[in-house]
Amino acid sequence: MKVHQPGQYGRHVRPSVDDWSWGRTTRRVAVLVRLARPYRLRVVGGVSALLAATAATLAPPILVKIAIDRGIRDSDLELVAWVVAAFLVAGAVGWAAGLAQTYLTSWVGERVLADLRETVFRHLGRLSLGYFERNRTGAVISRLTNDIEALDQLVTEGLTSLVQNTLVLVGSAAILLVLDWRLALATLAVFPLMTVATAIFRRRSTRAYRRVRERLAAVTASLQEDIAGMRVVQAFAREDRSGERFRDVNDRYRAANYETVVLNGLYFPFVDFLASTATAVVLGFGGYLVFDGSLTIGVLFAFIGYLANFFDPVQQLSQLYNTFLAAVAALDKIIDVLEEEPEIDDRAEAAALPRVEGRVRFEHVRFGYGDGPEVLHELDLDVPAGTTVALVGHTGAGKSTIAKLLARFYDPREGRITIDGHDLRDVTQESLRRQLGIVPQEGFLFSGTIRDNIAFGRPDASREDVVAAATAVGAHEFVTRLPGGYEHEVGERGGRLSLGQRQLVAFARALLADPRLLVLDEATSSVDIATERRIEGALRRLLAKRTAFVIAHRLSTIRQADLIVVLEHGRIVEQGTHEELLARGGRYLALYGDWATAVA
Amino acid sequence: MASVSSAEPSRLRTLGRLIGFLRPYRLSLIASIVLAVGSQAAGMAIPWLTGVVIDEAIPDEDAGRLILLVALVAGLGTAKAALMVGRRFIAGRQSLGVEFDIRGALYGRLLRLSYRFFDRHQTGQLMSRATVDLQNVRFFLGYGLIFLTQHVLTVVGVTALLFVIDWLLALIALAITPVLVAVAWRYSHVSHPVLRDVQQRLADMTTVAEESIVGINVVKAFAQERRQEARFRERTEAIFHQSLRATRQQALYMPLLSFLPLLAQAAVLLVGARLVIDGRLTLGSFVAFNVYLLMLVFPLRMLGMWIGQIQRAAASGERIFEILDEPEEIRERPGAQPLQPGRGRVVFEDVTFGYDPERPVLRGIDLEIEAGKVVALIGHTGSGKTTLTALVPRFYDPQAGRVLVDGTDVRELALASLRRAIGVVSQDPFLFSTTVAENIAFGVAGATDAEIEQAARLAQAHEFVAALPEGYETVIGERGITLSGGQRQRIAIARALVLDPRILVLDDATASVDATTESRIRLALREVMRGRTTLIIAHRLSTISLADEIVVLDHGRVAARGTAAELRDTSPLYREIEDHGLVAVGLAPEEFEVSA
Repeated sequence: MKVHQPGQYGRHVRPSVDDWSWGRTTRRVAVLVRLARPYRLRVVGGVSALLAATAATLAPPILVKIAIDRGIRDSDLELVAWVVAAFLVAGAVGWAAGLAQTYLTSWVGERVLADLRETVFRHLGRLSLGYFERNRTGAVISRLTNDIEALDQLVTEGLTSLVQNTLVLVGSAAILLVLDWRLALATLAVFPLMTVATAIFRRRSTRAYRRVRERLAAVTASLQEDIAGMRVVQAFAREDRSGERFRDVNDRYRAANYETVVLNGLYFPFVDFLASTATAVVLGFGGYLVFDGSLTIGVLFAFIGYLANFFDPVQQLSQLYNTFLAAVAALDKIIDVLEEEPEIDDRAEAAALPRVEGRVRFEHVRFGYGDGPEVLHELDLDVPAGTTVALVGHTGAGKSTIAKLLARFYDPREGRITIDGHDLRDVTQESLRRQLGIVPQEGFLFSGTIRDNIAFGRPDASREDVVAAATAVGAHEFVTRLPGGYEHEVGERGGRLSLGQRQLVAFARALLADPRLLVLDEATSSVDIATERRIEGALRRLLAKRTAFVIAHRLSTIRQADLIVVLEHGRIVEQGTHEELLARGGRYLALYGDWATAVA
Repeated sequence: MASVSSAEPSRLRTLGRLIGFLRPYRLSLIASIVLAVGSQAAGMAIPWLTGVVIDEAIPDEDAGRLILLVALVAGLGTAKAALMVGRRFIAGRQSLGVEFDIRGALYGRLLRLSYRFFDRHQTGQLMSRATVDLQNVRFFLGYGLIFLTQHVLTVVGVTALLFVIDWLLALIALAITPVLVAVAWRYSHVSHPVLRDVQQRLADMTTVAEESIVGINVVKAFAQERRQEARFRERTEAIFHQSLRATRQQALYMPLLSFLPLLAQAAVLLVGARLVIDGRLTLGSFVAFNVYLLMLVFPLRMLGMWIGQIQRAAASGERIFEILDEPEEIRERPGAQPLQPGRGRVVFEDVTFGYDPERPVLRGIDLEIEAGKVVALIGHTGSGKTTLTALVPRFYDPQAGRVLVDGTDVRELALASLRRAIGVVSQDPFLFSTTVAENIAFGVAGATDAEIEQAARLAQAHEFVAALPEGYETVIGERGITLSGGQRQRIAIARALVLDPRILVLDDATASVDATTESRIRLALREVMRGRTTLIIAHRLSTISLADEIVVLDHGRVAARGTAAELRDTSPLYREIEDHGLVAVGLAPEEFEVSA
C-alpha cells in the first residue's frame, strides 16, 4: 500500500556540479581514492605506462627533424638508418606501453565501478523502508545503473584521456619552445583565441547538451508509455492525437539537437582555421627565419608535425568536458546515497530475539511518517500469542502502518511495541524478521525458479520441504503442471505466473519460513473461483499456530479472525469478535453491511 | 516473426532501403558532399604548398613568393573552415531530419499495428528498436555516409598525390594500408559481440537491482538482504569479467592500430632520405610526402571501423524494417462507413477465433445481445470471456464468422467511429502519467471540465480526485502520485463514460476496490448502464447481480445462458459460483441495511 504522504518531506536540494567548494571537492576525491586504493600497484603501473606511451607519441616529429637536418643535409645515410631504428623503437615502446596502459587503467576502472556498485547496493540494503518510500523507485535504481555508467566513461577512458591529452599538449608546447622559442611564441599566439573560443563553446554546449538529454529522455518516456499503453490508445481511437503529441516531442528533441550541431559546426571549423593559421605562421615566419639561416628545414617540419599534436588534444579535451560534468553530477548523487544514514539501526547493545510465543503489545504508540502529520494516535493493542487479528477500516485508517511498525520498518514516535515483552528497539532487526513473515498484497516474486522463490526466506530448505510447503497451500498442483515444475523460471517479478499463482507461491514462501508472527496484506484481486477456494484453504493453513495480523478485505477471513480491530483515522474505534461487534451495532456493522451487499 | 538471417544480399537490400530514407534530402546530401570535397581539397593543397615553400621560396630566398604562398595557405585554411561550417550545418540538419523521420515512421506504424502484434512483442524489445537500433541507423545515414565519402575521397586523393610525388615511395608507403584496414575491420568485428554482451549483462544487473528495490519490503521482511547482495554481486562480477574481455581486445588492437602507420613512416623515412640524397626527390616533396602520409592514417583507420558500423546499421535496419513491414492486421476497408446511429445491439455469428489459429479460444460462438441489456459473462480462466469482448471493438478479427454491431459487420465500419461507440474498462487499467483530467478526457478531444467531473462523479471518483493535492490537475503515474488499484479503476471507468458509449465492456472492473467503494460503484454502474448495452466479465456474485442475463462460457463455447434463477437449475458451473458467493456471506444478509 503506497500512500503519498511519505513523499512530501525529506527532499533536499542536491548541490550543483558547479559547487567546487573545498568540502565538496575533497569528498568527491576521497570517494574515488578510497575505491582505487586497493589497486594502487596497478594504478602506478598504468600511470607509468601512460607516461611512456605519451613520450613515444611525441618522438616521431623530432626524429624526422634529425633525419632531415643531419642525415639528409649531410648525406649521412647511416644516421638516417639509426633514426629510423629509433623511430621503430619509439613505435614499439608506444605499442607496448599503450597495451599495458589500456589494460591496466581499464582494469582498475572496471574494478572500481564493480566495487562501487556493490557498496551502493549493500548500503541501500541497510537503509530503512522510509528511504524507499520517500524516493522514487526509478531514481534509486538509477544510482546503481545510469549514474554508475556515467562514471564509467570518466573512470575507464576519461581520466586517461585527460592526462594523456594534457601531457601531449604541454609536451608539444615545451618541445616547440625548445626547438625555437621565437617561432613557438609566434605560433602559440593563436592560443589565447582558442582558449576564449573553447571557454565559450564549453559553456554553451554544456547547456545545449543538457537540453538534448532532457528532451531525449522525454522522447524515450513518451515512447515507453505509449507503447505500453498502445492498447488503450487504440481502444479510444486516439491514434491521431497521440501521433501529433509524439511528433511534437520528437521535433523538440530535433530542435535541441540542432543547437549542438550549430555549436559544433562553428567551434570545430574554427579550431581547424586556427590550425591552418598556425601553419601559415610557421611557413611564413619560419621561412623567413630559414632565409637568414637561424632555422633549419627540419625544425620547420617538426613544427608542422607538432601543431597537429597540439590542436587534436584541445578538441578532445573540450569534448571530454561534458562527460566530466555528467560524471561529477552522478558521483554527487551516489555520494548522497552513501551518506544517507539508516533511520532504523540496531542498537549497539541489541540482542537477538529469542524464539517467541508471539504475544504482541502496542503501548501508547504514536506515529507519523517523517515530519508529517501523526497517523496513529495513542494506540493500545494487546494481542495474545497465536491470535489472528483482522485489521479493518477504510483506506488511510492506519492498517498498513500498524503492520510496518510491527516489522520495525519504522519506529514509533512515542510509546513502544513489544513481542513477548521484548521492546522491538532492543533486539536486532535480523532476529526479529527471521521470526516474522510478510505476505504482501501483490505477491511479489523474484526472477528465478519457483523453488528459489518458495525457499526465499530459508535458502537451505530441502526440496522436500519446498514441495511440502507448496502442497500445504495448494500450489503443488499448478506447479507440477508448469514446464520444469519447481525449476520453472517465473520471469521478471514473477511475470510469467498469473496473479493467483503468484499469491499461492508467496503463501508457500511464508509458510516455509515458518514465522512466529505473520503479517498478511490480503489481496482483493480477482482470481477465478477455483483459485479463490484454494487461496482460502491456504490461508487457513498459514494462519494456524501463529500470531497473525491480517489487513483484511475478505469477509471469510474477517469472520474467522479471533480478534477484529476496526480502525478509523489512526485510532482503534472497536475491537472484538465478529459476533460481539455485530451485536454492538457500531462502525463494524456498517462496514459489514457493505461487504454483505458486495457478495450478495 | 521473420527469422534473423544475415545473408549478404538481404543486408545489401536493407542498406538500399535505408538509403531510401535520404530521398527527401537529395539536395542537401549532394550539397554536403560537394562542400566536404571542397574542404578536403583545400586541406590537401596545404601540404603541397608547404613543399613549394621549402623547394622554391626558401632556397631562392624569394620573400615575395613566400608571402604569396603563405597568403595562399591562410586563404585555403579559411576556405576550408568556411566549407566545413556549411557542411556541418547542412549535414547535421539532414542527419537530424532522417532520425526524426524514421522515429516518426516507427511510431506511426506502431499506432496502426494490432493488439496481436503487442501481444507478441514486449515493450522493452520495441523500445530498443526505437532507440538503440535507430541510433545505429541514424549514425550511418546521418554522418556515416558523409564521413565515408569524405574518407574515401581523402584516401583516393592523397594516394594519387603520393604517386604524383614519387611512385616508388608511394608503393612502399601504401603497402601497409590493406593490413591497417583489415586490422581495424577485424577489431570492429570482434569487439561488437563482446560489447553487446556487456550491455546484456548490464541489463541482467538492472533486473536484480530493480527487483531488490521494488521488492525491498519482501527482502527486508524475510531478512534476506545478504542473499540479494550475493545475487547482485554475481551479476556485477559478470559485468566486470565481460568488460575485461572488451578491455583486452581494446588493449590488443588500439595500440597496434597506432603502431602500423609508423612502419610506413619509417620505411618512407629510410627510402625517402636516400632518394633526396641521390637528388631524385626534392626536400620539399619529401616533407610534403610525410605530411600527406599523416593525413592518410586517420581515414584508413576509420575505413575499417566504418565497415563494421555499416554492418551494424544493416542489422539494426533489418530490425526496424521488421516493424515497418509488419502488415496492418486490422485495417479499415476502403470506403468503410461510420457506424450508423443505433442502440447497441451486438450479434456474434458462428465466431471462431484463436490467438494462435491452431488453438481456437472461441469455437463457433452464436450470441445475440439485445440493445440496452446488461449481460454478464462468466466462466473459468481461459474460457474465452475477455477474448469475446475484444472482438466487438475489433481489437482482433475472427477467423470465421462475424461480429455485428447494430446490424453491420464491424469489419465494414470506420474503426474510429466503432471504437468511439464502445467504452472499455479492462481488469488492470493502464493510465498515462499526466493529469487526472487528461486521463479521463482521453477519448474525447474537447471534453469540458464539466463533462470530466460529471463522468468522475458517475464513476465515484470525484470525491478522492477532489482530495488530491491539485484536484483534477494532479499528475499521476511515474512522474506523479501513485494511485491505489481501486482509484485507478474508477478513473478508467470515468474515462470510458466520457465517451458516452452505446456499448460498455467492463472486465470485472470492480475487482480491487474495497467493499464500501465497490457497493458505491455498483450503484453508479446501475445508473450508467441504463440505455447502454453492457458486457460485464464477472467473477463474483455481486457483479453478476447487475446483469439482466448471464452467459456461461466453457472452453470457448456458450454453455448456458439465462437469468440467475434459470441457470441455478440448468448450469452446474453457475451453481458453483453462486454457492461460493453464498459461502462467503455465511448467514443470510437480510438483517443488514444497505448503507451505501
